[in-house]
Amino acid sequence: MRSLLLGAIFTSLILISGCGPNSGESVEDGLKIVVIPKGTTHEFWKSIHAGAIKAKQELKAKGQSVEIIWKGPLKEDDRDEQIKVVENFISSGVDGMVLAPLDNKALVRPVETANNAKIPVVIIDSGLESDKYTSFVSTDNYAGGKMGGDYLGKLLAGKGNVLMLRYAVGSASTTNREQGFLDAIKEKYPDIKVLSSDQYAGATRELAYTVSQNLLSRYNTEVNGIFCPNESVTVSMTKALRDLGKAKGKVKVVGFDTSVQSLRDLEGGDVQGLVVQNPVRMGYLGVKTLVSHLAGDVVSKRIDTGVAMVTKANMLESEIQELINPPIEKYLGAGN
Amino acid sequence: MNWSRLSSSEFLKAMRPFVGLFLVLALFALDSELRTVFFKGSNFKTILTQTVIVAIGAMGMTLVIVSGGIDLCAGSVVALASVVAAKLIEYNYGFLTVTFGTIFVGAIVGLFNGGIITAFRMMPFIVTLGMMGIARGISKWLANNQTVNPKTPLDSVNQLMDNSQSPLTFFPLPDGVWFAIGLAVFMAILLRRSVFGRHVFAIGSNEDTARLCGIRVNLNKVLIYTLAGAFFGFAGVMQFSRLTQGDPSVAIGLELQIIAAVVIGGASLSGGAGSIPGSVIGAFMMASLANGSSIKDWPNYMQEIIIGIVIILAVGMDKLEPLLQRHLNKQKH
Amino acid sequence: MPLNKFSQHPRLRILNVSKRFGSTLALDGVSLEIDSGEVHALIGENGAGKSTLMKVLSGAHQLDKGSLELDGGLFTPSDPLYARNSGVAMIYQELNLAPDLSVEENVLLGREPGKLGWLNLKERRRLAKDALEEIGQPDLPLDVPVHSLTIAQQQLVEIARALVGQPRVLIMDEPTSSLTRVDAENLFGVIDHMSQRGVSVIYISHFLEECQRVASRFTVLRDGKSVGSGEMVGASLNEIIQMMVGREVSEIYPRTRRNIGKVVLEVSNLAGLAKPKDVDFKLCAGEIFGIFGLVGAGRTETIRTVFGLDRLAKGRVELFGKEDTNSSPIRRLAMRVGLLSENRKEEGLLLNRSLADNLTLTSFQSVSYFGLVNDALQITTSEKLISELEVKASSASQPVGELSGGNQQKIAIGRLLHHKAEILLMDEPTRGIDVGSKAHIYRLMNELAKEGKAVLFVSSYLPELLGVCDRISVMSRGVIVETRSVMEWSESEIIEAAVGFSNTEGVAA
Repeated sequence: MRSLLLGAIFTSLILISGCGPNSGESVEDGLKIVVIPKGTTHEFWKSIHAGAIKAKQELKAKGQSVEIIWKGPLKEDDRDEQIKVVENFISSGVDGMVLAPLDNKALVRPVETANNAKIPVVIIDSGLESDKYTSFVSTDNYAGGKMGGDYLGKLLAGKGNVLMLRYAVGSASTTNREQGFLDAIKEKYPDIKVLSSDQYAGATRELAYTVSQNLLSRYNTEVNGIFCPNESVTVSMTKALRDLGKAKGKVKVVGFDTSVQSLRDLEGGDVQGLVVQNPVRMGYLGVKTLVSHLAGDVVSKRIDTGVAMVTKANMLESEIQELINPPIEKYLGAGN
Repeated sequence: MNWSRLSSSEFLKAMRPFVGLFLVLALFALDSELRTVFFKGSNFKTILTQTVIVAIGAMGMTLVIVSGGIDLCAGSVVALASVVAAKLIEYNYGFLTVTFGTIFVGAIVGLFNGGIITAFRMMPFIVTLGMMGIARGISKWLANNQTVNPKTPLDSVNQLMDNSQSPLTFFPLPDGVWFAIGLAVFMAILLRRSVFGRHVFAIGSNEDTARLCGIRVNLNKVLIYTLAGAFFGFAGVMQFSRLTQGDPSVAIGLELQIIAAVVIGGASLSGGAGSIPGSVIGAFMMASLANGSSIKDWPNYMQEIIIGIVIILAVGMDKLEPLLQRHLNKQKH
Repeated sequence: MPLNKFSQHPRLRILNVSKRFGSTLALDGVSLEIDSGEVHALIGENGAGKSTLMKVLSGAHQLDKGSLELDGGLFTPSDPLYARNSGVAMIYQELNLAPDLSVEENVLLGREPGKLGWLNLKERRRLAKDALEEIGQPDLPLDVPVHSLTIAQQQLVEIARALVGQPRVLIMDEPTSSLTRVDAENLFGVIDHMSQRGVSVIYISHFLEECQRVASRFTVLRDGKSVGSGEMVGASLNEIIQMMVGREVSEIYPRTRRNIGKVVLEVSNLAGLAKPKDVDFKLCAGEIFGIFGLVGAGRTETIRTVFGLDRLAKGRVELFGKEDTNSSPIRRLAMRVGLLSENRKEEGLLLNRSLADNLTLTSFQSVSYFGLVNDALQITTSEKLISELEVKASSASQPVGELSGGNQQKIAIGRLLHHKAEILLMDEPTRGIDVGSKAHIYRLMNELAKEGKAVLFVSSYLPELLGVCDRISVMSRGVIVETRSVMEWSESEIIEAAVGFSNTEGVAA
């Protein structure tokens, strides 16, 4: 009786496993590369995925076969979960890894483990406090932050009070942007006063909105310009400004990264500028750099993927369009 | 008279987690890709390392659940403990002080849980739900809302969960795995064989009977929650070692994973049933599933669905069997 | 067979009914007929098939072979609702009430009058009142929650509920098991009343005296077969018992010469928080001392207070000649005082734990070395007790909940034996168990007393107290009203003492 039951469960499990995508695909002879983002639902990571697939297609055209495995942590923004993913791929044996580390310290040991297992790791997006990686392919976030600072300073004509709402503790990329912004203001616009730069918005949009409201209720009479170091903070801050009737350029906002909402805000005049990265290029160069390294080429330890300032004026230009509307569907299919 | 030591149904019940694990492994063995990759020594080392935190937590949780209670603050205590460990290392304390200091903090939280539950006759669910928020809050407060990265790392603690030096072989296993195995053996004997363990079962099975039979119910409950807290504290040391930093936002929802492991391991949430080997196997099974899904490149949602199904199946097997039996009998007539 | 006055068909005909569970044949060709207005006693030991037969009638189980007829028509109860709608109602031994709902709501539970899901409150009140009047209890308060009533009153609520559906057949399973004599007598009046109205009653009970009082005919079941039936009038109890157990029960109540020794437990002016109010008694070694009282008299509370389970408000307890008033179960057990709970399922036993664990629960130390339980020793120790007590079980590691009531009770008593208790406080030790187990427990008590142990026997079943005890005290309203040697009591004197000042005491308490 029990064995019958077990048999039924067994079969159903096999059926379930059969339903899993890719299980029918045979293992290719070429390189097996895993790309590990910080999360999988956000547009930004899909662009990186698209870039990785773009690299794969290009390499295939050249006769180099590459299998790309795309695997984020089960719970987004959970360091321990990302460590597990890295470990699992080390012991399952891939040829190389492209990793966007969730924490610049916590991921050090897994990367060193990979290094000891002779698996090269290319770091993308955010930095890591280690030198055991092959290359660091990312936006120069410090430069991006500086670009934001320059632009906001210009908008305010070198005078007034600004706020900066930080993103989250331990996120190296945003920390660099924040530092770049502060340095730009300090160096070029000595008459601009930074009212607050020590508040953290936190990982979720909901939290960022609450913190923005709190911050604005304290400074809404004095503030002239605001810098937001990432997409969620930009959108939440703009929403909080709208609530107070301080949007539409009364308070200038320079944000970072794009989303449907932040582009709408840019178009509507609630946001004056968005510093955008090139995530497709990041994914593309991440994979390409790793493959060159595996082929024995010498690769540069630091590769910048560049930033651009998007404003209402230039947002329809084709170059900018490529950045703010990355051709994800072209590479990932309509399903994604 | 010749008595068999275990009745057959009881034997099957005790074997349930092993059957589940065997099923998962057999399923993996059927797949040609997993067969070559999953069943490597180095991969088992990875899974064992990933099991340690849930397994140590599950040992404490098993005590609580067998006694008829529940502890929802496990994840928060792990986070708190990881921050406390980081703070203690910042003050340059040695291995023993850091470890036992952290365990002590976990035990204090457990002591509060047990004390409140018995003194005010409150539901464990409510008390530990409250404590879940309190411990999480305190850990964020202590950590000043950010990760705590000791300037001079304490290698002995960091190495507890470190297998970066030999990623391609099964041995040496990291110290944390050995600690977990040792603790599991000790706890299995304590729960199964000791008088204290029998009292835990008695309380969970029927508190009134336990009281009638002269068992110090309240004292035992306080002890159970305190011990559980100590285990969560130790799991926190392991969590620190994994991240090499104290992280107040780590282990969110870990209590549910721990409870799932305990339940897959054959424990009953109404108390009076459960075992340490079962719970540890449950934890190992969940880590194996996650690892296998990862290797198979199943998307995350697939992995979440499968683990969910496994939990329900593991527990539902006992209920399902008599139902099927009745159904078949009906058809015969 | 008495001819039916109203139709040529009997009210209920059970023809050759069989029912199999796995390998056991629970019913093996049982047949019986019941006329309208007849009260038919169904007698048999636990496991004889009474419950199965009733469950078949009420639709909880389906029969394998045979047929049922109700007033001449084929009756095929596929589920309890069908049976209920056909006019077959069942009152289970364990009360099935919603404790937090009011009497009125309980009486009409599942038959609430109304339209489109809205209650008709006036109609509901009227129907509930009628039902209570029907059973001669118009004074029961309709608005109080059921849990605030006595067990006897709750039972009446359940009967009233059954009557709302205008049943043709009412099945009552051990309805008096938790009632006092007075309440039981009251209930018999209700049954007589229903029978006069033409309701047929199937009355299941262990208490043969009751069956004799209330039923006109009887059927005895043993091992799933009907082994005898007949008119109640003129049937001898001994014959019926013989049919039930299939062997000669020469003496249910054994009594051998006992040597009464020193006083081992002396209680003076004992009072608890609510009950008891003021209790004095002495218990000697080698004696069986009975306490009789109606439900609510404070018997159970008295021994729980002595044992340290309930708080003691005042008084003095002397154990083995030394004062030991304030106490806890732990201390009492250490002094070799054991308590058998009246409620073995809810308090007495760990139902999902093994026989061995249950037997050794109070003294794991005796089967342990250095704090670790020695499984082999625990099992052999338990096996010895299990065979001594003739417990029917598959192994010492079987969960105790799988045993029958009588065997469970033997395990609960076995725990006191394993503990080597010198003073045994036994609260309703024979409640709800079969005659064979009862006889075994009486014999055991007798042996314990002979060995010089002191047994305190609390019961609401007078014949067993009279049959077993050396002395009997009667409790009423939280005090012991009188204590005499068993020779000096008559049954009616005891009842009078227990009822005390007013006859309604039993219901109102």
